[in-house]
Amino acid sequence: MSEQSEKNKPVLTKKLDKFLTGLANAFRFVKRFFQEVWLPPYEFKEILRQCYEIGYRSLPLISLTGFIVGIVFTNQSRPSLTEFGATSWLPALISIAIIRAMGPLVTALIAAGKVGSSIGAEIGSMKVTEQIDAMEVSAINPFKYLVVSRTIATTLMIPILVLYTDFVALIGSFINVNQNELVSLSSFFVQVFEAISFLDVFSSLIKSLVFGFTIGIVGCYKGYNSSNGTEGVGKAANASVVMSMFLIFIEELLALQIVNAIRYA
Amino acid sequence: MRNDNKKTVLVGVFVLIGIIILVAGIMTLGGQQKKFVKSISLKAVFDDVAGLQTGNNVWFSGVKIGTVKKIHFYGDSQVEIEMNVESKSKDYIRKDSKATISSDGLIGNKIIVIYGGTSQAPVVENGDRLVSEMPLDTDKMMETLQENNNNLVSITNDLKVLTGKIAEGEGIIGAVLTDSTLAMNFRNMMVSLEKTAVKSNQMANDLAKLSANLNQEGNLVHDLLTDKEIYGNLQKSIVDLQSTADNAKEMTSNLNAVTNKLNSTDNAVGTLLNDAEFNNTLKSTMVNIDSSTMNLNRGLEALEYTWPFRRGFKRMNRANN
Repeated sequence: MSEQSEKNKPVLTKKLDKFLTGLANAFRFVKRFFQEVWLPPYEFKEILRQCYEIGYRSLPLISLTGFIVGIVFTNQSRPSLTEFGATSWLPALISIAIIRAMGPLVTALIAAGKVGSSIGAEIGSMKVTEQIDAMEVSAINPFKYLVVSRTIATTLMIPILVLYTDFVALIGSFINVNQNELVSLSSFFVQVFEAISFLDVFSSLIKSLVFGFTIGIVGCYKGYNSSNGTEGVGKAANASVVMSMFLIFIEELLALQIVNAIRYA
Repeated sequence: MRNDNKKTVLVGVFVLIGIIILVAGIMTLGGQQKKFVKSISLKAVFDDVAGLQTGNNVWFSGVKIGTVKKIHFYGDSQVEIEMNVESKSKDYIRKDSKATISSDGLIGNKIIVIYGGTSQAPVVENGDRLVSEMPLDTDKMMETLQENNNNLVSITNDLKVLTGKIAEGEGIIGAVLTDSTLAMNFRNMMVSLEKTAVKSNQMANDLAKLSANLNQEGNLVHDLLTDKEIYGNLQKSIVDLQSTADNAKEMTSNLNAVTNKLNSTDNAVGTLLNDAEFNNTLKSTMVNIDSSTMNLNRGLEALEYTWPFRRGFKRMNRANN
């Protein structure tokens, strides 16, 4: 009995121990992903199915969101620029905002809500219904089949969704600018590309890859480590969304620092 | 199985469109930023680049022809700019062209502007260094502006003093503005001026009418100005007049000669007019003639009463009565 109580005694505090254990588990989970991702068998079929679910099925929602973001951001930026008589700078402003930040961020947040929760709930329910254990018994590597495939799918699909979002948001912005400032399509896009650089495009894509990976791995981790039955599934779905969004903002902040360091080096 | 294929195709289309958007964006971006065009490198050295950054645009005659590739220190404290300029533009940039730093709009990015160059100079080549011209320094502009401000303040002060004096009625303008008599005079003057203007106008109208009348056909002036025959006659008359004047001139000279001769004593009339001795002689001659005539009259009267002329004289008297 005393041995048992000695074993349950926290190393630091109960909460801190839990947090650090979680962190270590998450690290091990990510490490395992990078170990497993290179090893066969490669679950192409499952990756493709996840790409369809995550990428193609998210397209209408992402497109609509991007379109609205383009229109709203243009409309909200106009009064400030009008004060300086600089409404002709709207395309450049929108371009920088959407390509550098809004496009990846909005796409990642929407995907975290839609895809992250779905992954967390799906894997969580499989965990609590012991389907993952069953897979292990069936000589199927559940980590590879569930985690690696989904994480690869989100990592690949989010950058493509970001490209769609950027494009649709710029179209939305163009419609608004065209209605108010009577700017032609070619003139609008000339100003859009005048304002950005390759660094903006590539940093946006690399950031999207990281966001995609984050959404996938967090959703899988939360689902894979869920417990307490159906309640745990809900918690896993919720936690995966919250944690993904939180990490996305942290990554956005870090990415901004890194890109600025490169830009002004 | 068919459903899986459909999903695969849809994912393929989805990815393909995404890649097309990416490639189109990269190509457009590269095209606009002249990343994929053949280019040459040009250099320029400035004392101060005013915040110019790599990637900023290079303009020539208002057209974007390249970007700033490198910025690094040169010499003691100067800065050397290396620019990528598209090859197709180099034929228009001469070796004596100048480079300066300007701004894209009032608050826009810094840009390099290449300008000038003469057609006599050869075209630039890869690695050429352009003559740089320092841009207008904002601080210097502000200094000049401050000087202008000071001048403006002193001008307004002077103006204040001037207007104060005017308001107090000092000087001619002040007197005009404040003195009611002067104002009245001025008003009368203006009224007179107005009347004069009206009369001038009237006179101008009259003159116009007169000139119109003069221009009418049959009028002497009109005929003089327009009739070629009259002009011919007039010209002929002038020629005749000229000849008459010549004759008169000749006559005058003759008269002058005659007068000269009359003034001299080497001729009869001149002697008569000018020689005093001759005059005396002539006078005494005339006296003698006069006395001779008197004696002759007396002789003739005596003769009247003498025989044989007595009867003849009586007959003549009767005939006269």
